Amino acid sequence: MTIAKPKTSATKGKWSNKALVVGGGVAGMQAALDIADQNYKVYLLEKSSSIGGRMAMIDKTFPTLDCSACILTPRLSEVQRHPNIEMLTYSEVEEVLGSAGNFKVKVKRKARYVDEEKCNGCGDCVPACPIEVPNEFDQGIGFRKAIYIPFPQATPNIHTIDKRGHAPCYTNCPAHVNPQGFTALMRSGDNDKALKLVRDAIPFPGSLGRVCPALCEEKCERASVDDPVSIRNLHRWLYDNEREHGGYKGDIPVIDKKEKVAVIGAGPAGIACAEKLIRLGYPVTVFEKREEAGGLLRYGIPEHRLPRDVIADEIKIVEDLGVKIEYGKEISSVKSLLNKGFKAVFLGTGAPVSSKLRIKGEDSTGVYHAVDFLDKVNRGEKVPLGYNVAVIGGGNAAIDAARVAKRLGVKQVTIIYRRSRAEMPAIHQEIEDAVEEGIELKVLTNPVEAIESKGRLVGITCIEMKLGEPDDSGRRRPIPIPGSEFSIPFENMIIAIGQRADPKGPHAELDMTEWGTPEVDPVTLQTSMENVFAGGDLATGPGLVVEAVGQGNVAAESIHRYLQGEELKEGRPETFIEVIPEDIKKQRFGVHPRASMPKISIYNRRTTFKEVETGFDAETAMTEAGRCLNCTVCSECMECVEACQREAIDHNQQDEIIELDVGAIVMSTGYKLFDVAEYPRLGYETQSNVITAMEYERLINAAGPTAGHLVRLSDGKVPKSIGFIQCVGARDVGKGVPACSRVCCMYGIKNAVMAKEHDPDVDVTVYYADIRAFGKGFEEFFEMAKTRFGVKFVRGRVAEVVETDDEKSLIRVEDTEDLTFMQNEHDLVVLSGGIQPSLGMRILAEDVGIELDNDGYVKVEHPLLYPVDADVDGIYTCGCSDGPKDIPDSVAAGSAAAMRATIVLARGGEVK
Amino acid sequence: MGARTETNKGLEIEHTPSSNFAKEIEAEPGGEGISKCIQCGICTASCAVSSFSDRYRPRQLIQKIIIGKRDEVLQSDLPWLCMTCRLCEERCQEGVSPAEIFQAVRHIATREGHIPEVFKSTAEKALSDGWLLGDAYSDFIEDDRDDLGLDTDLGWDNEFTHRLKKKYFSGGEGD
Repeated sequence: MTIAKPKTSATKGKWSNKALVVGGGVAGMQAALDIADQNYKVYLLEKSSSIGGRMAMIDKTFPTLDCSACILTPRLSEVQRHPNIEMLTYSEVEEVLGSAGNFKVKVKRKARYVDEEKCNGCGDCVPACPIEVPNEFDQGIGFRKAIYIPFPQATPNIHTIDKRGHAPCYTNCPAHVNPQGFTALMRSGDNDKALKLVRDAIPFPGSLGRVCPALCEEKCERASVDDPVSIRNLHRWLYDNEREHGGYKGDIPVIDKKEKVAVIGAGPAGIACAEKLIRLGYPVTVFEKREEAGGLLRYGIPEHRLPRDVIADEIKIVEDLGVKIEYGKEISSVKSLLNKGFKAVFLGTGAPVSSKLRIKGEDSTGVYHAVDFLDKVNRGEKVPLGYNVAVIGGGNAAIDAARVAKRLGVKQVTIIYRRSRAEMPAIHQEIEDAVEEGIELKVLTNPVEAIESKGRLVGITCIEMKLGEPDDSGRRRPIPIPGSEFSIPFENMIIAIGQRADPKGPHAELDMTEWGTPEVDPVTLQTSMENVFAGGDLATGPGLVVEAVGQGNVAAESIHRYLQGEELKEGRPETFIEVIPEDIKKQRFGVHPRASMPKISIYNRRTTFKEVETGFDAETAMTEAGRCLNCTVCSECMECVEACQREAIDHNQQDEIIELDVGAIVMSTGYKLFDVAEYPRLGYETQSNVITAMEYERLINAAGPTAGHLVRLSDGKVPKSIGFIQCVGARDVGKGVPACSRVCCMYGIKNAVMAKEHDPDVDVTVYYADIRAFGKGFEEFFEMAKTRFGVKFVRGRVAEVVETDDEKSLIRVEDTEDLTFMQNEHDLVVLSGGIQPSLGMRILAEDVGIELDNDGYVKVEHPLLYPVDADVDGIYTCGCSDGPKDIPDSVAAGSAAAMRATIVLARGGEVK
Repeated sequence: MGARTETNKGLEIEHTPSSNFAKEIEAEPGGEGISKCIQCGICTASCAVSSFSDRYRPRQLIQKIIIGKRDEVLQSDLPWLCMTCRLCEERCQEGVSPAEIFQAVRHIATREGHIPEVFKSTAEKALSDGWLLGDAYSDFIEDDRDDLGLDTDLGWDNEFTHRLKKKYFSGGEGD
């Protein structure tokens, strides 16, 4: 082995006398302090939100039994106060270029969504946050909020928001309702705020809570555990609950802007746009040609799904906010409105014209179009129907028309659809309900001719279909089977195959597409006239109510920007980074089925227009809200923003890349604990009374989740007998970790002694293969554990831990000194896990450009003469970066690495 | 480790092996891993036979090999009690397979004629009629087979066994 180190040749001019320490544990802190004390500037980079590393988590040190935090905390503040140390917490190294004396380091500063300058750590935000997740610092046995500091002495004392992108429910909702946010607020008991959050996205929590196909639920990650959360029914409950308890409780906006805005059409798009604008302070007038507002919600959706009083109430709330609706007022010219002083116009006149089947006999008596049919029924007009009624189509309008026909007393209602049931675009629950109510589905069938006699419909000739390749919509294309025609007698046919915009509407003044709809910018919804915007079914063709609402929202934002003279397109369309499914923590969620919706009796469903779904009760709603997985941890409910008096919270913060010039780098990246779940025989994860040593540390720590009470997590009982199992994930050839972890023997003994300190009567046994008490005072400590504290030591590796019927843990082991085959029962079993190179070490080593040894630790230049030098000049290593170490050794290595680094800094990159 | 306790005095072990039996096992196929054993006892604690027997202790048997008790181990029936379930091998953190080691022990013991009586008689039984369970085929089982609609005549003949025996155990005169 060569011992001589090569010389580096950094040019003097580019020499940097700053250092970078990667990892803010006790070793990295020591290195940073020692470099800083020699008057060099140090960047101390830490991946998590606070420095302190593992030592901050540990309860006591060995062999002195000092309080770990008491020793470390003064050091934390020393680092923070040091004028030469700049802490870069919540940051990661991206890339290292250059050589000793002249490294260029790219660092990613992860967005903590809290301004580090403004936050003073007061913690006012924490009680406001409704999201609770396991605290990593407490090894997941305690809880923290989505906005948090990991432990009371966190340094810097700045809160961090744990936000992992956007939830799939939120991104998939066309109007961007925030289900994770409102369910979290429900769980924390604040239904008013929850409802306010829903209303921030949609003005119809009650109506959409009844009729929305719930695209959010299609993407709900809870489905990978059991079933999606019943999101739609939850905001319905919020609305119903508010209405039951006195009605709208939200704010009434102040109209402080002068620019008048006109909205044409009081459907979902128009109302949504008007509501958004009134909340922004604009005077808004909605012109509706019919006698009531609501558009398709009012005239297209039957009463058994959406009671009239619900939609009327929700419209009234919007009117109460200050939106003026002029009923019975048909607008034929946009220009005339602009001439009357309106500064901007939104067109949301919908797609009220039914599409035709284009078959022979379609105009005969007895044929209706779904929209007209439902409209008539909804207005209370009598519609004569015969014994046999066919409904053509597979969408929600078809199902609605069929169920309405049934309720009007029709004996035989048949839905004819050209694809199979799976391809029907209607809400699946609605299809099921229809079938339950006795409606027949005739799928893979298409009408080819309406048979008439004396101008009246008497039957339909259909053709059988089969499914071919998927078309543009992703559904399989229906293909007629030649020669398969057949006829069925029908007295009525209701056509529900789609609608389109009325080409003669007020938008005729604008540039139009070939389909008779106004041409709009897809991002801003601006039409060919700069102050006229259009959205909803009018612009997109027939779609969902929630899509129309989403477009209303977009148009309102555009109108606001237009009237304020702002750039319409900047930052639009909004981009969403969806949370990665692997990042979602699911293991702690047991299976709990989705709440089922109570319904009225089938008799009532066939004969009356009473609302079929009666809604959740409060208890069901709360339980259901509790099923949300909190995919992204922070739900952006914005409660923290409101709570923070220093305006330190910025939910729009982005990750930032900064570049550092440094002369030397110290690696102090620490370690990760072996995942003891890889030993199924030892029962971690499957048995509730088997825990890891690090969990035990938090359990006995006064600042831990139990305030230092050593209890079983399963039942809160004080354990009377504890077993410690050594060498779990260390010295195991089979698991690929043949090396000794160096610290487990002593921390295991320390933990055993601490059990006795907590309760002298507790029976404590340590199971070991051999005790390696090699350090100063270690052997004495081991003796003291045996003699003074009465800890029992059994020489023998544990074969397995089995949970007994009385919730004890049975340990099977051979006492190799006594030659007995033992089966010992304990109340609690603690696994002393081995340690491994820290997570991401391999990627980091690649980014930094250093070699690792066979075990994955930083490879040192020479184990005897250069024990803290990495194989690249100017890069040094300390702590557990290059192998397992206890605290004194880590700190000593920190000082050594600091000295090696300052030699480079002092010599301008030249190393001797 | 500290000194041995008083109670273990009776088991005082000489630190020089009394023979090179461990080396011999190591040279035998299957016995290679024996020198890696650190006597932690996880094999005994895992062993299904040990949990039903007061005598069978794999770790202690390996210890005897290591300290050189050649005759005692080869003449004992203990190496023959291993069921070869290999749970010891699965769990050993040092990569030792007691099951393989005992297989090696049995090979040596067989070569030297130390086969427990029960194994010998079993082998002879198999060689005599080729069917270990011949005695177990009772009227009851025959009735059961009949009830299940299975053929009661198993069509068993000793022709194959005889030829096998002839070929391998009677000087290779078989066809």
